[in-house]
Amino acid sequence: MDTKSVEEVKADAEVKAGVEVETGDAWQRLALIAILYFSVRNIKNSAQGLIYIIPALAIGSNILSNLNSPEAYITIGVLVSTAVISGLISFFMYTFRIHNQHVEIHTGVFQRRYTNLPFWRIQNVKIEHPFYYRPFGYALVVLDTAGSGKEEANIVAVPLAYANALRKQVLAEKTKDDGGNHHQAPVSDSEINEADNAGAYQNNTNEHDEEVLNTRSIGDIVIHGITNNRVWIILGAAAPFYDDAIGLVSEWLADKGLQLNQLVGEQTVAWWQFGLYAFVILMMLMAAMALLSVGGALFTFYGYTLSRSDDRYIRRSGLLNKQEVSMRASRIQMITAKQDWLDKVLKRVNLYFEQNSTAGQQVQELMSPNKLIVPSVTEQEAVALSQEVMPNCQLHRSDYLGISKRFILHWLLTAWSIPVSILLLIGTVSAELDILLASLGLLILASLLLTLRWWRWGIASDSQYVYIRRGRIGVDYLCFEPYKIQQVIVKQSVFMRRRKLASIKFVLASGSVTVPFLPEGYVKTLANNVLLEVESTRKSWM
Amino acid sequence: MFSASNTGGFSNEPLSQDDLPALEALPLTPVSKKYRLINLGVSATITLLILSAITTGRYQTFFSIPDELRRIFPYAFAVVAILGVLWFTYHFFADKKIKFAVREQDISKQSGLVFRQLSCQPILRVQHVELKRGPLARWAGLASLQVFSAGGEMHTFEIPGLEVDDANRIRQFILDHKDVSAR
Repeated sequence: MDTKSVEEVKADAEVKAGVEVETGDAWQRLALIAILYFSVRNIKNSAQGLIYIIPALAIGSNILSNLNSPEAYITIGVLVSTAVISGLISFFMYTFRIHNQHVEIHTGVFQRRYTNLPFWRIQNVKIEHPFYYRPFGYALVVLDTAGSGKEEANIVAVPLAYANALRKQVLAEKTKDDGGNHHQAPVSDSEINEADNAGAYQNNTNEHDEEVLNTRSIGDIVIHGITNNRVWIILGAAAPFYDDAIGLVSEWLADKGLQLNQLVGEQTVAWWQFGLYAFVILMMLMAAMALLSVGGALFTFYGYTLSRSDDRYIRRSGLLNKQEVSMRASRIQMITAKQDWLDKVLKRVNLYFEQNSTAGQQVQELMSPNKLIVPSVTEQEAVALSQEVMPNCQLHRSDYLGISKRFILHWLLTAWSIPVSILLLIGTVSAELDILLASLGLLILASLLLTLRWWRWGIASDSQYVYIRRGRIGVDYLCFEPYKIQQVIVKQSVFMRRRKLASIKFVLASGSVTVPFLPEGYVKTLANNVLLEVESTRKSWM
Repeated sequence: MFSASNTGGFSNEPLSQDDLPALEALPLTPVSKKYRLINLGVSATITLLILSAITTGRYQTFFSIPDELRRIFPYAFAVVAILGVLWFTYHFFADKKIKFAVREQDISKQSGLVFRQLSCQPILRVQHVELKRGPLARWAGLASLQVFSAGGEMHTFEIPGLEVDDANRIRQFILDHKDVSAR
């Protein structure tokens, strides 16, 4: 599987050579396969609207008994032909051209929309291969801009070779742009300040060679599915079938002699028996969840390759719909290496390369072009990959400065004291021993978790990077370059001031990170140094 | 500390004071006193309005009200009064603490009563600037300055209660800054 994707990459590179990207003055239509895409999309969109009506319909008329009637066929026929006709109309209303370094798209049936996207404003080029495109060698090109999430343009169906050539052209334009050919980009787009990085890009003008940095085998992805909850990928897709599934499962359980209703209702069952049943059911559920999660992981990450082409990192993966996300190296704001407790046992790490997050737009984490994930790599690979992206960074260093123990006290007093003391009060007043015990248990649990959190939380910095370590049972390592900071915030409560402690918060384009309860002097020096780094190097954050 | 520590020819002196470019040495200026007055006025007025509304509702004789509502009245009155007093006291003490400073390369704001927070926004990272003026602020000749960076809406840097002239001057200073204007 791995070799296949490498070959694909090579094949793509070969094809790239002879394709003309500019389409000239004339407006182009998409490949015919786009009709299928539009039909599928329209069905999907209307299905999302209709999903709430389906149960009502199902109850109102017994669908199963009517499924063979002519009316049913007519309804299905009408639905399908509506979808196809709407697909056809969408197809004929969609024209595009690529002209003078601009992508222009006319789209929409009732609301016509005209998108004009200059190459140099394109931030990400994503190439998707829906499964029905693959036999015919077509691709869907998604062009992301630095602006809001709505400002994205899709070229729905073009030959794969053309998609690759287009991507190459956009990237080439980018390189040229960075080399000093400054366009008049809008003020909000700050990518032009990158002249200082440009040398590195220009040395490497042959873009045909793409270096594969990492591939994930099916085994790795199965591990990822087990250690991470990827259930929702499947659950989200299967939402319409929940009722049936639950019915089936309870029938099956009934067959096996387990009657849920009887179990709960009857008093005759001993508590340990009931507990055992509950335990067995829980185990079965967990196993089913794990299986679903593995399925979800395979669905998104099958055939995962991470490769580098010039200054870009490209991620390709997907079982049915192959997805390709590419991200410029200079856009990476932060590396996060996340290790949950199960990951720790298996010695695996999820590595994230985080780009700027568009505010207010919650994209699904895994599909998001803003976060490039390398799922479940080994610890050595994680170190190697993080150093590939941020040379010389040392995530696992020994000089992390821990936060003050007052952190534990602070959170116990501010957050936990009230619920615990209320419980304690109720316990003493009502003289119920178990409530008293519960309140003490809660207190112990809270202090345990806080202690773990205190123990993990730390910060370090060297001449290039700032590192943060945090977590409770798992550990996350974060690393970023100080010159990419957007804003620095120093916080201090009255009590912290007395103890000469302070919290520091770094705001990056990818989000913010806080390290609380550090020595005041350290925080001030760090804040001043970070600000000096931002303001004196004047490097762009993008 | 970082690679930039030995960069020559860089300056980030406080505009009004020749001192080290350190956050703790910032010459902080408090925001306009009118800002506090407006907040105090607004909190007092709204609290009194609500209190008088429920009181007149309780004692009017035009239509009868259910007994439960009648019984709730003293508690409702107390809750509203306490919240109003808290609101008023908060602004009484906290608004005095809002201070700001402009340096060559960044703007800073310090605020907070129990948790004192000092945020510093390098001008290099500013995406755009806005002046926001509500009706009361317009009447009092105040404006709040909002500075947007790529850090997202959650981290919009805002200095409230500036005199309009000051706000405009800072806005112009940011816009004229070579890092923002030279694009």
